[in-house]
Amino acid sequence: MAIFKSMFKKTGYIKIGSQPEEKGPSVPDGMWLKCSKCKKMVYREDVKEKFYTCPKCGDYFRIKAKTRLRLLLDKGSFQEWGTDIEEKNPIDFPEYEEKLSDTRRKTGLKEAVTIGKGSICGWETVIGVCDARFLMSSMGYVVGERITQAFEQATEEKLPVILFCCSGGARMQEGIISLMQMAKTAAAIRRHSDAGLLYIPVLTDPTTGGVTASFAMLGDVILAEPGALIGFAGPRVIRQTTGEKLPDGFQRAEFLLEKGMIDAIIERKSMREELGKLLRLHNQKAAETFASKASMFQTDPIEEKHSDKENKKEKSAWERVELSRSPARCTVGDYIDQIFEDFTELHGDRCFGDDGAVIGGIATLSGIPVTVIGQQKGKNTRENIRCNFGMASPEGYRKALRLMKQAEKFHRPIICFVDTPGAACGIGAEERGQGRAIAENLSEMSGLKVPVLSIVIGEGGSGGALALAVANEVWMMENATYSILSPEGFASILWKDGKRAKEAAGIMKITAKDLKELGVIEWIVPEVEPAQKKNLETITGNMKEHMLCFLEKQEEKSEDQLAIERYERFRRY
Amino acid sequence: MFQKILIANRGEIALRIIRACRELGIRTVAIYSQADAEALHAQLADEAICIGPSAAAESYLDMERILSACIAAKADAIHPGFGFLSENSKFADMCRKCGITFIGPSAEVIERMGNKSEARNTMIKAGIPVVPGTERPLTDAGKAKEAADQIGYPVMIKAALGGGGKGMRLSQTAEDFLENFKVAQLEAIRGFGDDSMYIEKYIEEPKHIEFQILADKFGNVIQLGERDCSIQRNHQKVIEESPSSVLDETLRKEMGAVAVRAAKAAAYENAGTIEFLLDKQKRYYFMEMNTRIQVEHPVTEMVSGVDLIKEQIYIAAGLPLDLTQEEITLRGHALECRINAEDPKKNFMPCPGKLGQIHLPGGFGVRVDTAIYGGCEISPYYDSMAAKVIVHDRTRQGAIQKMRSALGELVLEGITTNLDFQFQILDDEDFINGNFDTSFIEKKFQMEKE
Repeated sequence: MAIFKSMFKKTGYIKIGSQPEEKGPSVPDGMWLKCSKCKKMVYREDVKEKFYTCPKCGDYFRIKAKTRLRLLLDKGSFQEWGTDIEEKNPIDFPEYEEKLSDTRRKTGLKEAVTIGKGSICGWETVIGVCDARFLMSSMGYVVGERITQAFEQATEEKLPVILFCCSGGARMQEGIISLMQMAKTAAAIRRHSDAGLLYIPVLTDPTTGGVTASFAMLGDVILAEPGALIGFAGPRVIRQTTGEKLPDGFQRAEFLLEKGMIDAIIERKSMREELGKLLRLHNQKAAETFASKASMFQTDPIEEKHSDKENKKEKSAWERVELSRSPARCTVGDYIDQIFEDFTELHGDRCFGDDGAVIGGIATLSGIPVTVIGQQKGKNTRENIRCNFGMASPEGYRKALRLMKQAEKFHRPIICFVDTPGAACGIGAEERGQGRAIAENLSEMSGLKVPVLSIVIGEGGSGGALALAVANEVWMMENATYSILSPEGFASILWKDGKRAKEAAGIMKITAKDLKELGVIEWIVPEVEPAQKKNLETITGNMKEHMLCFLEKQEEKSEDQLAIERYERFRRY
Repeated sequence: MFQKILIANRGEIALRIIRACRELGIRTVAIYSQADAEALHAQLADEAICIGPSAAAESYLDMERILSACIAAKADAIHPGFGFLSENSKFADMCRKCGITFIGPSAEVIERMGNKSEARNTMIKAGIPVVPGTERPLTDAGKAKEAADQIGYPVMIKAALGGGGKGMRLSQTAEDFLENFKVAQLEAIRGFGDDSMYIEKYIEEPKHIEFQILADKFGNVIQLGERDCSIQRNHQKVIEESPSSVLDETLRKEMGAVAVRAAKAAAYENAGTIEFLLDKQKRYYFMEMNTRIQVEHPVTEMVSGVDLIKEQIYIAAGLPLDLTQEEITLRGHALECRINAEDPKKNFMPCPGKLGQIHLPGGFGVRVDTAIYGGCEISPYYDSMAAKVIVHDRTRQGAIQKMRSALGELVLEGITTNLDFQFQILDDEDFINGNFDTSFIEKKFQMEKE
């Protein structure tokens, strides 16, 4: 209880030299913004500092095209294109012209997409940005035409394209002509892609309708901003049509990543840097220096240089099986971190999901851009649940194939790491065509026009392993195994007794030494034992030297030659 | 002059500001959190606005709510007190944008003086002595050793991003430098993920001497003498006094003049404090500038007779200082003891709670700045300081006697306080003889802690 409040005499009535009442304090317009997600008032300067995200809840604010370009491009590098394209009213929609001129006046924009040429971290690119303030950035003739012309121009100038997508979809006021923009832009992107050029759409909130069903989803690498709504039919339409309650996070960027539709979610604060890296990794000049770089590392590496000295005790096949399965053994992630630089993981099969059992992406090997794909095992239960103990699902194999095709388009060598007990076994895997997925990889890999190297680093379990091992050369680590089936499975099929696995291992010819003798592999990677983190540097140092030699050898060969050699390699068995 | 001032603070300092406003005929708006609904500051002010829940982050630190309250109440200035938003340059900037006068220096000055290296560089440029040390952070042990050799031992090794003593090591001699550097650097990497380090001359057993400054909008800067705040525990001041018994008249004048120069170099405006370290050889080094009113400002008020809060308001309102340096005469000796709701036996753990009967001392030369009253609650959400007892007498000896007498009268039923601990200091022979530095409490009371 505020006991004194009514007893204290207040100063309200005392006046000394009082002045006429001035205009009181007030908040200037725009000093505070209200976050649409957490509904809290936030200071505009804080929002700006945090790349236009809410300082309280982290939600992303929609930003103007101009701001986006300022955040991304090297200062002063932007040259706008397509400003002379005339607006049309193709179906004589009433009051459309008025609506357009009104929007132009309010936004200061000529149309919903701003497009041109600029550079990011010094790498030249064509860049387009949609601005939601302009009729929800819907796609009409001008938007479609600007994008199409930009792709045509980029194809001519051999430049990559980055498009920041954001749209409500097709522009209703332009009727069927708006629909045609989908086909027109898709066709222009196709030509750009056929010319071997890179296209990166970045999906921002919201990307829906006809834009999602055309240029937004046709990228080589598709990125998205956190939390962005991305979908074909909008959530309201789906709810009304189906009467279903939509799950939390439905159609958000994170949902799409999980469903394998996009490669990665990139925070706004690191967008410029990530795009710069992707442009560098896809730069023609970087690829051309491939030969010169690789030749720096020639000379045939010395075989068995580490293991010679150690005078290792000969191990039984079963001992090697156990070593290859050891949870402490290095996994593909360790090798990638140690051998490559700039690894950029790309996700998803673009159809159904993103399989944690297969990781893949772009990296550089002593400066040479390569595509790296591997089967991932976990080091503890949680990791193992995420990557399903290294047993890939059909979507894992489809992701691998997608990345291999991408590598082929950009003339990047492919390096695969095999480490799997076998392909995933289950109802879901069968429903989604596990057999077909593996078969397709075998077929497609045989015809790839780039060098392919596969290294069995742990378990090489059956067809699940082979689906990443139709390569020009296959290597095995000293204690890895590669087999038709696990020794347990072998014993149970042949002898109806899975317990005789040890015995089976002994006669199956599954060790690196056996397979080298059989001519199934080209090289045994010597292991400094144990093949765990502490010895990683020594093991990978040797491996990396051999990789560079391999790449140098392949460099002299034509694209067809590479495919023929792969054909011949497997023809001999 | 302002018509109405919003006090963006609580407790005794809010009360102190409200009192100054009442004397000036300026209406006051208090803000309070839910925990402070019955706090005295909210009762004494002409208006009081609840601005949120008990947690400071959602009330006394919520800039948007405070500005909204200010605009709703049509107050034309905000006094931030100390702590909370008092040294927040962003808040000062927001006030300016909304047409509200922030009673304190500009956002730019707060920002500049709040940045340690920038403040240091400003002072170096103005020829103000600073603690010798590396200008830029170092990562290489060899280079750091070279720097340390040049500075001269002992040196302090500090993590650039450090705080709370982490990543901080004392190196006494050239021999133990490398080892200490490595340990400190390792701590820095583990603690802050950064291995850049500063090397600084270690000032042994320094005194903490600070000068009170007043600066108006017209470039007039005066100083109101020093405060000796060497009695500290974990960088928390416990007893402050003015003047310091170690400064003679010449040194006082010299340091005062340097403090004025420092304030001018910072383009300072309003009340501020220049903190110095004073070593055994009576060499002084600029440490930092506090861009706000300080807890211990009453001791300066007692010896100078100047009401610092009123001066702050005058300056913010754009009036020139009506005092010149010559007009400032310091009389007698003032002491301040901070009475905290804490338990010295439990490593000074805060002990909030409900007060029962209380009695506050009074009489000639005794001043108590507090916001407590009988039956009120000392909230666990905020600082545990319950009261400041300030005494003024002709001599230091007299002041100590008066403080003992006053504290003897102080009754705070219902909570545990550091009152006995204050007596122990006041009774200490070294304290009485003025023979102490910042390590006083650590050295004297280490035994008891154990």
